[in-house]
Amino acid sequence: MKLNVKVRRYDPESGKPPYWATYEVPAEPMDSALSLLLHIKWHLDGTLTFRKSCAHGICGSDAMQINGENKLACSVLVQDLVKGDGDTISFAPLPGSPVIKDLVIDQTRFFEKYRAVMPWLINDTPPPERERLQSPEEHAIIEDATKCIMCGACTHSCPSTWADPDYLGPAAMLKAYRYTFDSRDAGSAQRLPIVDSKDGLWKCYTIFNCVQACPKEIDITRWLSALKRKAVTAQY
Amino acid sequence: MAVETLERPPAETTEAPVYEDDARIVRYKIRTGMFAWMAHRLSGIAIVIYLILHVWGLKALTDRDAFNALIAGYHAPIFKIGEFLLLAAVAYHAFNGLRIVLIDFLGWSPKQKRLFWTLAAVTAAIIVIGGYPSIYAVVTYFTGG
Repeated sequence: MKLNVKVRRYDPESGKPPYWATYEVPAEPMDSALSLLLHIKWHLDGTLTFRKSCAHGICGSDAMQINGENKLACSVLVQDLVKGDGDTISFAPLPGSPVIKDLVIDQTRFFEKYRAVMPWLINDTPPPERERLQSPEEHAIIEDATKCIMCGACTHSCPSTWADPDYLGPAAMLKAYRYTFDSRDAGSAQRLPIVDSKDGLWKCYTIFNCVQACPKEIDITRWLSALKRKAVTAQY
Repeated sequence: MAVETLERPPAETTEAPVYEDDARIVRYKIRTGMFAWMAHRLSGIAIVIYLILHVWGLKALTDRDAFNALIAGYHAPIFKIGEFLLLAAVAYHAFNGLRIVLIDFLGWSPKQKRLFWTLAAVTAAIIVIGGYPSIYAVVTYFTGG
């Protein structure tokens, strides 16, 4: 089938604001949305710029706004986006971050927030001879949260992030959950004050855009709620 | 070494301007969660506006005749419609508030969509049953009953 592919383009060197460009692209129902962009880049317009790497939903490079919703371009099929021939699919950069070119956003802020929650194991006790063991039951608590690939689809789908660029956002706070609830971690006293702040947990209004956007289907709101309960009950 | 990397000139970089949209409201597909949140905000603002009018009306309590005149004015159809909208706003706000409490305190997040539709049905039933007298009053006013 033939599809009309609308792409939100921005050329930093032209000095002009972003505009919509439309391309006619041949596609099969089982093609990924990413393959439409690759077709444009390889056969129609080589100046089109977007991030992609593994193309299999592991690296998290190609999160973008597809048909008005944040998705991972490689992990969504054409048949799930359109009904048939002549339909339109739109691609725009993730909303809420500065755009460098076309579909490429400046991720500086996103990763600053990630680093802010100290996403590493904090434990000052001397390590045992082999490794710090964790039981399957203890791992089950954090397993869903460990699936995050840091694509940014969730944080850039959150109305709280759009309204407040300093809001930590679902991705960073999911990492805070992942380490705070890790049985081997002892860093709650350092990590909780960061998420229990005016730019943290309390700007999560359970809107569920993040859960809807997550390509790994992580129930982010569930884990942020658990972190909220921990923050109000913890003594630190 | 095959390639003398140190002798290569450094890549020239240009600082091209990034584009930042200052709009803090973004067009995005509205699903149950975002709809529930937007309606919660709007009904909350509506209830605050109502409360201001309500408290302002209460100042007439100091004078019996003024109060009776005010209450008589509230029987006008516009206030009956307002009464219905007030019930709708309060019922929605209360039940969605309960939904948020269940999600945040009991971790019912996985059931949020079912919870939304269940409570929406309960809310709709309360609005229809509780709002019947106001709507009946408006209808009889216009049909001259």
